[in-house]
Amino acid sequence: MAISPIYALRETGVNLWRNVLLTTATIITIGVSLLMFGSFFMFDYAVANATQRWEGGIEFVIWMNPEASVEQDAAIQEALNSSPQIQDHNYVDQLETFEEFKELFADTPEMIEVVTPEAMPPSYRVVPLDPDADVVEELANQFRGRPGVKEVVSANETIRAIQDLADRVGLFLFLGSFVLLAAATLLILTNIVSAIRNRGREIEIMKVVGATNWFIRIPFMLEGLAQAVIGALFAWGGLYAFRRFVISEFSEPDGLELLAGFEVSDNEFLSTSILVLGIAIAVSVVGSLVAVTRYLDA
Amino acid sequence: MIKLENVTKVYKGDNVALRDATLDIVKGEFVFLVGASGSGKSTFIRLLNREEVPEHGKIFVAGKDIAQLGTWKVPYLRRNIGYIFQDFKLLPNKTVGENVAFALEVIGKPRHVVKKQVPAILELVGLTQKLENFPHELSGGEQQRVSIARAFVNRPLILLADEPTGNLDPQTSVGIMRLLDRINRTGTTVVMATHDRGIVDTMRRRVIELDRGVIVRDQARGVYE
Repeated sequence: MAISPIYALRETGVNLWRNVLLTTATIITIGVSLLMFGSFFMFDYAVANATQRWEGGIEFVIWMNPEASVEQDAAIQEALNSSPQIQDHNYVDQLETFEEFKELFADTPEMIEVVTPEAMPPSYRVVPLDPDADVVEELANQFRGRPGVKEVVSANETIRAIQDLADRVGLFLFLGSFVLLAAATLLILTNIVSAIRNRGREIEIMKVVGATNWFIRIPFMLEGLAQAVIGALFAWGGLYAFRRFVISEFSEPDGLELLAGFEVSDNEFLSTSILVLGIAIAVSVVGSLVAVTRYLDA
Repeated sequence: MIKLENVTKVYKGDNVALRDATLDIVKGEFVFLVGASGSGKSTFIRLLNREEVPEHGKIFVAGKDIAQLGTWKVPYLRRNIGYIFQDFKLLPNKTVGENVAFALEVIGKPRHVVKKQVPAILELVGLTQKLENFPHELSGGEQQRVSIARAFVNRPLILLADEPTGNLDPQTSVGIMRLLDRINRTGTTVVMATHDRGIVDTMRRRVIELDRGVIVRDQARGVYE
């Protein structure tokens, strides 16, 4: 006969409550580890989004002042056309820049509302013949400070800075989350083993009267699952806050240029959330399966 | 109902708990297992409940060789076997009613069956008034009655009792034996390991005596020695 859901939930609740301190510690550890794990992925998404404009071999961008004169603009174009070191360049006008801006800030329509295409700086996206960092830097320097030029941003320094930051933070988050996930798995295992030992007599009676192994195991496995899912919910809340208050803050228009486009889309956030929940379930399954198969023999 | 064919059980260190045991116990029989401590009585009972597996021989319960039974089928075998412990093994945080109901709940019996069978079995063991009491509020004899109720609530074919009067005074033991006798009269086979000479001599049922794992006596309407 199948296990009654009421029985399973009641026993799971009893198990969780019996070791409430250990349960709380387990949930916190799972929550923090999943938060770190999810942050790693969101950070990765944000970095990819921030460096998107550097795709296609573009190594530096010449941002023009929106108020630059036609002559100033023509002088820059002429310099780009005549340089033997430049393979290609592409002019992105104010309207196109505005479209890019709308894409980047699709999740914050209030920002799009206050910005007009006229406020957007047009730019030249430049592909040099030689992508060597020093050559690119020398080329970029030729355009810095010219009349009408607002700023020249080289891909190398931007990407290097972002990548460097991403690598350090990502490595810390990834390794940290793995260590904590391992700790969380062990905590789930310990919690269930402790519950199994606390209920030794009950389990003995269950076996003697003919309860099936799965009937005995399921409440313990649900206990592990409940801890993991509650931990995942806390992690989800943390990830939501991380995205809302940290990542979005970086990509504010008055934020660092380096971090412009440092954003996580709704779809990316959803896939990170699903991944976090999946990891939580996997951790609980591993922890509780080891516990019940090793400590609840037939 | 129970049949042993040349059953041998050896523990670690060549410690033979049961040696070449062969016997038949028919349905509805009441059998005493007697012998000194370490003679193999408990092993005999544990083999019947499939808590142990013999090294040699076959054990048939209700026609099935339980030594060959798959692990997943063992719980279904045990649903046909009630088990009474010397130390009762009641759950202290559950009431009398909950202790008995537990045996039905964990094998997935529907709630309406539990509600019907628990009061009926408590009436049989004479504990209707103690339904809401916790084990620590009961005497030793009453606790053993709860243990019997739990073992019999699912109406098993066989009742195994491992020294059920071992922790009780003689007068209380008589009450417990009357209860087991009453259950036996319903057609349930009872196999009881005991050291209680008075009970065996008074009841005059089949006696199987073990000595260092060997069946040295199998006597109908026997006495302790």
